[in-house]
Amino acid sequence: MRTMKVRIEVRLKAGHFDPEGDVTSKSLRDLGFPAGEVKVGKVYTVDVNAGSREAAEKLAQEMCRKLLANPTKDDFSVEVLTVEGRATQKDKR
Amino acid sequence: MKGGLLKRTSDKLELMTLDLSLAGEKDLLEISERMGLALSLDEMKFIKERASRPLTDVEIQTFGQTWSEHCIHKTFKGDILTEKGTVRSLFKSYIAKATKELNKPWCVSVFEDNAGLVEFDKGYLAAAKVETHNHPSAVEPFGGAATGVGGVIRDILGVWGEPVAVTDVLCFGPLSTKQEELPAGVKHPKYIYKGVIAGVGAYGNNMGIPTVSGGIFFDSGYTGNVVVYCGCMGVLPGRLYVRNTKTSDYAVLAGGKTGRDGIHGVTFASADLSEKSEELRSAVQIPNPVVEERLKRATIRIRDGALASGVTDLGGGGLSCATGEMAHRSDLGLEVELKGLHLKEAKMAPWEIWVSESQERMLYSVPEVNLKRVLEIFKEEEIEVCILGKFNKSGRLNVTFRGEIVCDLELKFLYSPPKVKRRASAFRIPLKECKLKEPNDLGEELLSLLSDPNLRSREDVIRTYDHEVRGCTAGKPLQGELGGPNDAAVIKPLKDSWMGLVISCGINPFYEDPYWMAASSIEEAVRNNIAVGGRRVAVLDNFVWGNPEREDRMGALLRACEACYDFSLALDVPFISGKDSLYNESPLGPVRPTLLITGIGIMPDVRKAVTVDLKKNGDLVYLIGFTKEEMGGSAYLRSKGATGGSCPKVDASMSRKITEVLVEAIDSGIIKACHDLSDGGLGLTAAEMAIASGGLGLTLDMRQVLSQVRRGDLLLFSESTSRFLVEVEEEKSEYFERALKGIALSRVGEVTDMPGLKLIDPAGTESVLSASEMRKAWRGY
Amino acid sequence: MELKKSKACVLRVGGTNCDLEVKVALEELGLKTDILHMNQLADGTLSNYQMLVFPGGFSYGDYVRAGAIWGKEIFTKLRKELGKFTDDGKLVIGICNGFQVLVEAGLLPGNSVAGVPTASLANNSSAKYECRWIYLRVESRQTPFARTIKVWDTLWMPIGHGEGRFILPSEEALNELVKENQVIFRYAMPDGRPADGRYPHNPNGAAYDIAGICNKKGNVMGMMPHPERAFFGWQTPSQRGKRKARGDGRCVFEGAVEYIKKY
Repeated sequence: MRTMKVRIEVRLKAGHFDPEGDVTSKSLRDLGFPAGEVKVGKVYTVDVNAGSREAAEKLAQEMCRKLLANPTKDDFSVEVLTVEGRATQKDKR
Repeated sequence: MKGGLLKRTSDKLELMTLDLSLAGEKDLLEISERMGLALSLDEMKFIKERASRPLTDVEIQTFGQTWSEHCIHKTFKGDILTEKGTVRSLFKSYIAKATKELNKPWCVSVFEDNAGLVEFDKGYLAAAKVETHNHPSAVEPFGGAATGVGGVIRDILGVWGEPVAVTDVLCFGPLSTKQEELPAGVKHPKYIYKGVIAGVGAYGNNMGIPTVSGGIFFDSGYTGNVVVYCGCMGVLPGRLYVRNTKTSDYAVLAGGKTGRDGIHGVTFASADLSEKSEELRSAVQIPNPVVEERLKRATIRIRDGALASGVTDLGGGGLSCATGEMAHRSDLGLEVELKGLHLKEAKMAPWEIWVSESQERMLYSVPEVNLKRVLEIFKEEEIEVCILGKFNKSGRLNVTFRGEIVCDLELKFLYSPPKVKRRASAFRIPLKECKLKEPNDLGEELLSLLSDPNLRSREDVIRTYDHEVRGCTAGKPLQGELGGPNDAAVIKPLKDSWMGLVISCGINPFYEDPYWMAASSIEEAVRNNIAVGGRRVAVLDNFVWGNPEREDRMGALLRACEACYDFSLALDVPFISGKDSLYNESPLGPVRPTLLITGIGIMPDVRKAVTVDLKKNGDLVYLIGFTKEEMGGSAYLRSKGATGGSCPKVDASMSRKITEVLVEAIDSGIIKACHDLSDGGLGLTAAEMAIASGGLGLTLDMRQVLSQVRRGDLLLFSESTSRFLVEVEEEKSEYFERALKGIALSRVGEVTDMPGLKLIDPAGTESVLSASEMRKAWRGY
Repeated sequence: MELKKSKACVLRVGGTNCDLEVKVALEELGLKTDILHMNQLADGTLSNYQMLVFPGGFSYGDYVRAGAIWGKEIFTKLRKELGKFTDDGKLVIGICNGFQVLVEAGLLPGNSVAGVPTASLANNSSAKYECRWIYLRVESRQTPFARTIKVWDTLWMPIGHGEGRFILPSEEALNELVKENQVIFRYAMPDGRPADGRYPHNPNGAAYDIAGICNKKGNVMGMMPHPERAFFGWQTPSQRGKRKARGDGRCVFEGAVEYIKKY
């Protein structure tokens, strides 16, 4: 078992109305930024103990289904960032 | 700094010792600066002379915190040197003096504890406190404002009160300010505005305490110095109010974890704001209302079980102030061990732990027999708790960290700081005549005033605050079918009593003479309270001023304090609590001197609370009070960019006469609607009454207004004090007029079934403003 | 069951803050009410009660999503007992945050404490917290909570929330809910017509103006508006100087009490 840091992103499903994103977009445009659509999501980084990267990913997906995402409106993606303090291959590149 | 002055004395702790006897003047100032103490040379010398040994950094920090302007109010307690002689303590000579002379039996605790206490009903007391949180809000608007609310709520818990209402009065720079005009370090008013409002709302809403009353002002005098007043009112059974810490009682700290957030908040608040403030973000505390909600439950349970002997909140100065204060007020000493504290970060130096202003923490003194039960309650409410130590007879504050002594101070020394001396120059403003062209169309003028940023509807803000939670809001912040303004909020805090707690405020920062600014603010707070049916009003003062070390700022402050004394007495309203925030200076200059007066009244039956909306077609409309040409600082003049003129003054004996008969008239039920006249004068008041009402309107015949003023615009927009616009049933008019004999009373119009306002100017010309166009101007939609 | 022998339980966790008002309302109608912290629940505690209330507030700070953490806690700690409670036909009501909790626990609009939500109370369309008095149209009397009122009655009570936009995953799910008469309250115009999405009458943008729903059986109801803040006449805003003799929210609790008497 190793400790891995997993990044979980929860965001609204495509096509779902995002009031917070709309307001943020308007505010950015007020400040002079050429901002288009804004979508607001939440990012969690979770330390998990797992036997493999795949197992860690699976656990994280389970977390989303059970707590972090509401399937009525939310999508999610997970990514293993580090394994016991080391950046994973993907991040090193 | 001289060698040998600063030494590390512990191998285990991050603890430094300073031998002040080796320090010269330059060193003393450097120490004050580098350690963030904000102490003056005199104060540093005072410590140096009296310290018989080298002091630890924990001890020196304790002085810095305890002697900060924020904690000890040294300016208000110091000597003020004026042309006419020395004033010994503004506080004792003016504010508290009036209360003492009025000597009201219903004032239970004034200026003593965390909040003022007055009798309420059925053995209950009402508690009230208003604080400012300006500096933190300037640097981090959301967190600064939220923790401001959190802090003042803890003040109410700190007198064992159950919080029942929150208030907020906010002053910002104009939202239209151009980014280029702002010096580095000053944030855009729009950013501050959004953050502050979100912060106030978030804390009250999360804690489930209704935010019911307040105000918002815009002026360039606030661009560099945002002003955030947060108030809280509560109730408690009088018999459960206990403040009697005894030797051998335990000191118990409960609530949030202690971290590096909010270190040096008080010294931060006692210094000018500058570009460097950005680095001081760590001085801003992080809000966590859900912890405070649990802390509230636990505190009330401990109170109801009579399990503790004392309580205080941890605010400015953190543990360093709260522990010392609690021991000192009971003439005791205290031993503290810091090891058991729950920390946010592992490696904090003892002094950091000691002065941290992490939020949502309270300190209790608990007799040994109750300790177990108290700890159980905290556990049930999921509150982290730490037994700090025990109170004793030593009269010393003795702090250890893992057994090593880090602080050992005599409390008498700590609480006798040197008196500060401030100089005040005489306040003079040249009386300028005001020259303003008479406008052609009064209706147009009124519409444009309705949309003035300082006068327009606050509905968009009010609705983001939960003002209905607890189900006790009998007098709503938005009134009438269409959401007009209110004069004061009415809370019904007790289940088995109709008695209402009436909360109002008065604030007139634009009146340039601080004396009349203060006088009119006190009178306005009373007026607003009376307008809904309140009475027996107590007041709270909150000064926001510039650097008191500058003679002109001090001169103005002195003048405002003189008015506080004069009008507290003359209007028969005692001060019960107050707070001052000085050093509000930025690269843009001092803050506009601002005094908020909060009024706390009672009314025997909340069902009789009067609202501003019109009630019945055919009723008569009266103006109570005399209208003078008092345009100085008025909303009308400012909207024209004009200055000069004399600002509104207060005729205290007339004001008292009016309020007395008005209370009687309200009790007898003949007042159907009532709205006080303030910013924008008669015009605004009449318009707001029409705006609030669905399906009704009123006529306003200015020819009937009792006044020597002839010019229409001046008559309509003068801000003379002690005036009300009321609706009275026609059948009761004779009785009403008789009741108000000897008081300036003008029958100015009547309620009609045409929504809007029909204005008849002094020349007899009619203009009609429809309710919808006024509403559009006022609300923006 | 005799009312004197019945009891209601108002549950709370850290951040709950509308528990006391509900207790006051229920006790005014003669139903003894205990406020219990989740920590105070032991095995079998629930069986002492005929009604369970999840009140408003910000449970656990509304972190993750409004009501989510308490909702999952119910799933892990209370699944069985609450399942039995509802199977027995006893009453459960969630108000505001309590509604969010019931949805997150899977109890509404679904029928079991499945832990997986089948609907959502999303951010208000206005992207703001909103506190205002709104009108409700009674759409169905499927639940005991609506037994003392009539279909198409108009009720007046306050809302106060930032996440109250009721949405379902599909059109079919909505049709099903309507067909089964599970939609109890819809946001309405002052004259009683559905708000049809019009702001501020529909204050949050809820689909089909939905303000309150019940489960298939009707004994579990959730609603965003606060009936306990519109219980007494003096709590209602005055209109033309007059206040209602009684608040419209009272009927929700009266319905519950009537049901308990006959239970």
